[in-house]
Amino acid sequence: MNKLAQKYLRPSQIPTKACHGCGIGMIENWLLQAIDELGLQQEDVIFGTGIGCVGRQTFATWGGDNFGATHGRALAVATGLKLAQPDKKYLIVVGDGDAASIGTSHLIHAARRNLGVTVICEDNMGYESTGGQFSPTTPAGYVTNSSPYGMAEPPFDPCDVVKAAGATFVAETTATQWHQTVKIVKKALANDGFSFVHVRFPCNENFGAYALGTRDTLKNLEWIYEHTQGRKADGTETDFTWETGIKHDASNSRPEFSKIMRDVNLRVRAEMAAKAAGAAAKP
Amino acid sequence: MATLDLAVTASLVAPWAEWERRGLAGRRLLEAGTYALTEGAIAAGCRVVAGYPITPATDIAEYMSKRLPQVGGYYVQCEDELAGMHACAGASLGGLKAMTATSGPGFTLLHDAYGWSVTNEIPLVVVDAMRVGPISGITGAPGQGEFYVARYCTHGGNFETIVLSPSSVQEAFWLTIDAFNLAERFRTPVTILTDQVVSDMWEDLFIPDDFDALDFVVPRKHNLMMPFYPVGSADLDVAPNVIGHGTGVCVSAYTHTEEGYDIEEMEAQWAQTYRLINKIRHNRDACTRYETLGLDDAEVVAVAYGANARTVKTGVVEARRRGVRAGFVRPITLWPFLDELYAADRHYVVCELNYDGQLVREVARAAPDSKKVHFMGKSAELHTVAEVVAGLDGVARSGKLPELPYIWTEVR
Repeated sequence: MNKLAQKYLRPSQIPTKACHGCGIGMIENWLLQAIDELGLQQEDVIFGTGIGCVGRQTFATWGGDNFGATHGRALAVATGLKLAQPDKKYLIVVGDGDAASIGTSHLIHAARRNLGVTVICEDNMGYESTGGQFSPTTPAGYVTNSSPYGMAEPPFDPCDVVKAAGATFVAETTATQWHQTVKIVKKALANDGFSFVHVRFPCNENFGAYALGTRDTLKNLEWIYEHTQGRKADGTETDFTWETGIKHDASNSRPEFSKIMRDVNLRVRAEMAAKAAGAAAKP
Repeated sequence: MATLDLAVTASLVAPWAEWERRGLAGRRLLEAGTYALTEGAIAAGCRVVAGYPITPATDIAEYMSKRLPQVGGYYVQCEDELAGMHACAGASLGGLKAMTATSGPGFTLLHDAYGWSVTNEIPLVVVDAMRVGPISGITGAPGQGEFYVARYCTHGGNFETIVLSPSSVQEAFWLTIDAFNLAERFRTPVTILTDQVVSDMWEDLFIPDDFDALDFVVPRKHNLMMPFYPVGSADLDVAPNVIGHGTGVCVSAYTHTEEGYDIEEMEAQWAQTYRLINKIRHNRDACTRYETLGLDDAEVVAVAYGANARTVKTGVVEARRRGVRAGFVRPITLWPFLDELYAADRHYVVCELNYDGQLVREVARAAPDSKKVHFMGKSAELHTVAEVVAGLDGVARSGKLPELPYIWTEVR
């Protein structure tokens, strides 16, 4: 076990049940590196997940407090939890189904409220734990087990969605960008507000096998890498390009949700106290 | 009151029968049921309400948005009812008592969160102010369509639920405190199944002055050590789990171990199921609440809950005045179902606000002779006293309900 895993994770719960070559464990290791570099301890961070590959494989790995919400609802749970526990850091590690499909309304409204959490959307471009169906982030045209003639619908970019909704930190990265991802996650965690980090990673068993025709981890990583560069190894252009990096950084520029709520309380209670004092002062 | 003139035996089995005798200092108001639910929740220590406005529960949202900041609490208006109950679950896991309030259309949307709260043993209160349906139906008319939905309010089976129903504004206040107490003691969500009439009507309401002095309110405790889930145990009064105290608690949608780790083994599923079902079944006395009238000599008993129990009760009193040996049963605890109230072999006339027949099916199951269980279904408005008297009189004379306009008697 590596030192970061020893420091932050539960020995009984790792290695995870993830498939051979899955990117989930690697990305979690990068999250730990960011947490460690920020000097955070187990008790400083609440780890929330959802359902699907990312939810199931990361749930209860974190050594501190964990919650695994129903599908798509991690941010709805976090909205209430943040009111009760405002001083904690929240790492909400979810998949593309949780964040960009079944839970999109909660994603949008958490961004609108500037809820103080960091969402790590680990995107394997489909529903892989149910056997490889397309999701709203599957690139158009690619074959999955529910798009045998190619994904007919256009995808959307969840980064655009949360930015439009008011997120104060938005970034995109992939499983081929180790150091960049760690730097981005550190910035995301430093924002006292809604941070969204979109991380694409390969699924070898389903997306790789059916959309790309290979279960080879390196080839699937290479396919992702090529699409961040816009160019294949042989020099030809890729069919589309993912522009990675920080998309929007308005960190700490507007008040965080639970602080807004606390400030309302303080104002209301101060007004009540002033009124009571005024009434008492009258002869 | 007429009940006293007839020297009829009356009984109220509920903790507030004793709370009301304490002579607490307080104020008498003319207020709505939603106001009573709001103040009852705040008296019980509720500090987070998250939900989505819906008639006839909207006034709870409005009252809460004003009251909660005054007591250091938070009102969160969510994107939908599903988000609302999940946010309540999150707040409760963080250590704050929480409640959501909705009506039928919203109640069906929050079942995912209900199940998550059941399996993780999260204390919560859910108010469903029922209106006539199906679906949106008539927003301003009462219904009793969620009797079974409230029992089976999530998927997957393997759980029991606690559902209470008030029939007056005053009772809504006390019962809300009781619901929070039961939620804490049983570590589970408790549903208050009320209706448009009890929610919207204005009535005499006594509210104690000092909520902090109410020693019958069960305070929130925090479980700071393993086991987080006493699987295989039916114990009451286990302190709820808390996130944010560094205990390493794990909360999830999966079948879990004592630590909260997800597990796919039948033995673990059985141990979890044992607790979720038996913590309620083995402690039924702790959540049994009902009202009865005239059961010592009754040969025909009217059964009703919620708003229409009021006109039905008056109908029973009137029938007795006319010489019918009538009785009255008002289950306040709807679930777990109080079979013992129907153990005597006599006629039961079940009056409820739906035409499909819900409560009547449970009474027919519990009663010794299901042929003596009669259904008086009415939709969108309360039974009239005249209808109840005619029904009780008919059954007492001939063993059959007479035909009445607007009354549905077919169940099967």
